Amino acid sequence: MTPSTDPRLLVHAYVDGELDPAHALEVERQLAGDPALAAERERIEALRRAIAQQLPRESAPPGLARRVEAALGLRAARTVSHPSWRALAASVAVAAFLCSGATWLALSPGAGDADMIVANHMRALMAPRPIDVESSDRHTVKPWFNGRIPEAPRVIDLSSEGFPLVGGRIDVVARTPVPTLVYRYRQHLISLSALPLGRAAAMPPEQIAGYNIVSWTENGLAYWAVSDLAAADLNAFAKAFRDAGPG
Amino acid sequence: MASLKSEDDQARFASVVLPHLADAYALARWLTGNRADAEDVVQEACLRAFRGIAGFAGVNARAWLLTIVRHAAYTWLGKNRSAALLVVDDLESIAQQQATGPGPAGEGPQTPEAALIAKADARLLETAIAELPVPFRETLVLRDVRGLDYREIAEVTKVPIGTVMSRLARARRRLMERLATDEAKGG
Repeated sequence: MTPSTDPRLLVHAYVDGELDPAHALEVERQLAGDPALAAERERIEALRRAIAQQLPRESAPPGLARRVEAALGLRAARTVSHPSWRALAASVAVAAFLCSGATWLALSPGAGDADMIVANHMRALMAPRPIDVESSDRHTVKPWFNGRIPEAPRVIDLSSEGFPLVGGRIDVVARTPVPTLVYRYRQHLISLSALPLGRAAAMPPEQIAGYNIVSWTENGLAYWAVSDLAAADLNAFAKAFRDAGPG
Repeated sequence: MASLKSEDDQARFASVVLPHLADAYALARWLTGNRADAEDVVQEACLRAFRGIAGFAGVNARAWLLTIVRHAAYTWLGKNRSAALLVVDDLESIAQQQATGPGPAGEGPQTPEAALIAKADARLLETAIAELPVPFRETLVLRDVRGLDYREIAEVTKVPIGTVMSRLARARRRLMERLATDEAKGG
C-alpha cells in the first residue's frame, strides 16, 4: 500500500488515514523530529478543513434522477426519492378516501416500517457514532442488549464472510424499541433490525431514498437490513446471516 | 433501446447508479467547469451505465459509476476543451519530480502558514481547484471534496495507488502555493 517511503509523500497518506500502523508510527516518529514536516502536516490539515467547510459535499441538482430516468425511458414510478407534491396530494386523497389515516396505515404496514427503518439508518449515519455499543465481539454486544430490551437479538460474527460486526444500538420503530446490529462491508455500514413479528411487511419496498432494503422472517422475528450497499451485496449479507445458524 | 431492457435491469440501475448521482454530478462539474455541461455528461454516463448494467459484477458501485462518468467527461473535454487534456503526459513526469522534490523547508515564501490556508474562502478555493490540471484536479476533488479513499480513486482514475498519492500531494502543494500568492496580492 505504500510504494514510496518519502516522508513528504507519506505525510499526506498519514493525514488521510491511509497508512498501515507500522508506516503511521514511522511518520509520527519523523513528525516529532522534523519541524518542517510537522508544519507541512498542519498546512495539509488546514487545507482539508478549509475545503470541507467552504466546499461541502453538494447533493445532485433537484430532479436530476428524474431527468436521467426519463431520458432512459424508465418508469417514472421508480423515482421515489423525491416525491412530488402531486404524489403527496394523491396519498392524502387516498387517506381521506379511506376516512382515516389509521386505516390507510394498516393497509401498508410494510412501507411504514421500511420508512422508519431507513430513517433510523440515516439518523445513525449522521450521528457521531452509528452505534451505542462498539465492539466486534458478539459476546460483548449481545449482553449489552440484556436489560435494555425484553430479548437480546441473535448476534452473529460474520467477519469470515466479509461482514465484520461494528456494534449495536437500539432503534425505535412504531414506538417499540428494537435491537439493531451494525455490520460493515468495505466502506459501507449495514443496519440490521429485528422486529417482533405481526408487524411484518407483506410487500416491503426494495429501496427507499437510494438505500437498499432486504427483509425476511425467522424464529418469530422480522429482520430488516438497510444499507447503501448494492442490492446483490446486501442480499449476500442477508443470506450469510440466515445461513449462520443460532448465535 | 433503453425501453426494451428488462425490469431487472431497471431495478439494478435504480439500486446501483441512482444512489451515487451526487458524486457523479460533482465529478462531472469539476471536470467540465459548469453545471449545464455537467448534467449532459451525467446523462451520457448514465446511458452508458444502463447499457452495461448487466455486466456490473463489482462490489463498489460508486467507483464503477465514477469511472464511466470520468470517461464521458474526458470525451466531452476532448471535443470542447482539448487543450485541457494535451499536457497530461508531461505533467505526470513533472509531478513525480516535484511532489518529492524540495522539502517543505525549501519551498520558500510561497508556502503560507496553516492559519493563512484556513482563512481561504469558497471562491478562492473554487478558483484555485478549477485551475489545477485535470489529473491533479480529479484526484483532489475525489479525495478532499467527495471523500473517496485512495483505493477507490486508483480504481476510478486507472492509475496505481502510488500515483494517486503523488498526484494528491502535488495538487495540495499547488493549492497551498496559490493561496499564499493570493493572500500576498490581497494584503
